[in-house]
Amino acid sequence: MNLSPDQTIIFEAWGIPVNATIFYTWVVMALLTVTSHLITRRLRADVPPSRWRTTLEVIVQGIQGQIEEVAQGPTRYLLYYAGTLFLFVAMSNLLLVVPGFEPPTASLSTTTALALSVLVAVPLFGITSRGIGGYLKTYLEPSFIMLPFNIIAEFSRGISLAIRLYGNIMSGAVIAAILLSVAPFFFPVVMDVLGLLTGMIQAYIFAILATVYISSATASPDTSQPEKETP
Amino acid sequence: MSIDWITVAAQIANFLVLVLLLRRFLYRPILDGIDAREAEITNRMQEAVRAREKAQAAEQEHLDQVRALHAQQADIAETVRKQAEAQRDALLAETHKRLEQERIDWLAHLDEEKHKYAARLQRAGGGALLSLTRKALKDLADDTLEGRIAQHLARRIKPMAGDLRDAAGKGTEAVITSREALPEAARTDLLRSLHEVFPAVSVRFDTNAEQSPGLLLRIGGAQLDWTVDGYIDSLGDVMDAQLTAGVDLKGART
Repeated sequence: MNLSPDQTIIFEAWGIPVNATIFYTWVVMALLTVTSHLITRRLRADVPPSRWRTTLEVIVQGIQGQIEEVAQGPTRYLLYYAGTLFLFVAMSNLLLVVPGFEPPTASLSTTTALALSVLVAVPLFGITSRGIGGYLKTYLEPSFIMLPFNIIAEFSRGISLAIRLYGNIMSGAVIAAILLSVAPFFFPVVMDVLGLLTGMIQAYIFAILATVYISSATASPDTSQPEKETP
Repeated sequence: MSIDWITVAAQIANFLVLVLLLRRFLYRPILDGIDAREAEITNRMQEAVRAREKAQAAEQEHLDQVRALHAQQADIAETVRKQAEAQRDALLAETHKRLEQERIDWLAHLDEEKHKYAARLQRAGGGALLSLTRKALKDLADDTLEGRIAQHLARRIKPMAGDLRDAAGKGTEAVITSREALPEAARTDLLRSLHEVFPAVSVRFDTNAEQSPGLLLRIGGAQLDWTVDGYIDSLGDVMDAQLTAGVDLKGART
């Protein structure tokens, strides 16, 4: 039994093995992109929106509303980033119910990649917002003695993000696989339903935590908010 | 549990590509569409506000025009009323004037008719009186009115001789005009009396049917009327008085 889809090779292209993590990531990417493109390709301001477009607007505005509750100032680029995080993780977790689909988020490589991207995005957004001097100054707050602790905290955020998401998704998938062999007609259904719920929650948590980290890095000192409790 | 760093790198790249793709095909179209729709709604609301303001202005203008029309209507009604009153007064005045004129004309016509009637009555009465007088003289005294008048005039010429001479001047002919031819005896009496006063004057007798009964003597510039005109006129005065009294009585009754 493979605990990670990284070990499952789907095919090889020009001698490069493509594992299940990358393959199903492409599937999710294609699904999100094609669906979005099909719905948004003929948008006109003077035409009433279709139900699909309304659905997308509800999703995008819901994400934007959540971001605006956390962050301050312009949120358009944060929406691109955190919204993509949420949609990717949520779609990956939702497709857990599709037989044969292995969610990329069940791979520690994927969650590590997402955590690293957050780890890089936080200083990038911070530097873009405050300037490089202003951002680096935050590592010396409230005192220069806190510099090593702040650096450790910065990395521990990424590690906790990666491990949390990976653990929840991978454990759900593994438990469902184990129960499938024990009670193939009842428990997998219950576990899949629970998996959908925890998957959506994890997507929300991952995205909202990334938003909190980035917004704390971009917020001015007098308006910085305390970090939310991690569930 | 292991981390495949190649997969990690690939996933980071995949995620960045997904960010770009979703920005291109999801976020921008959706957010731009929302912004465009909000702008469209804002424009339409502003247009609605402008349309409402325009409608309110038009309504206010309409109300002003209605008020002005009402005021104008009241003025016109007042003017028309005054004109109608003036026209009514003028028509009434004209009618009163016409009625007054008709009344005056009617009274004049009535007066004229009264005079005509009185004249006719006077003539008829005079004629009847004269006829009765002639008949009475003829029946009772076997004499004529003109003959008796001539005899009486013949007796009166002498007392008036002085005045006649003064008035006659140097007249050489005397003309005696009567309505009917005078009896011979009366002519003789008149000739004798005139020759006693005017010996050099020739006398000529003439008749005039239009003349009132009696004699008319003309000598030069002198003229002596010896007729019943005065009595007939007195009869006319009596008749006028009676007619007037009758009219007054009628008016008093009405």
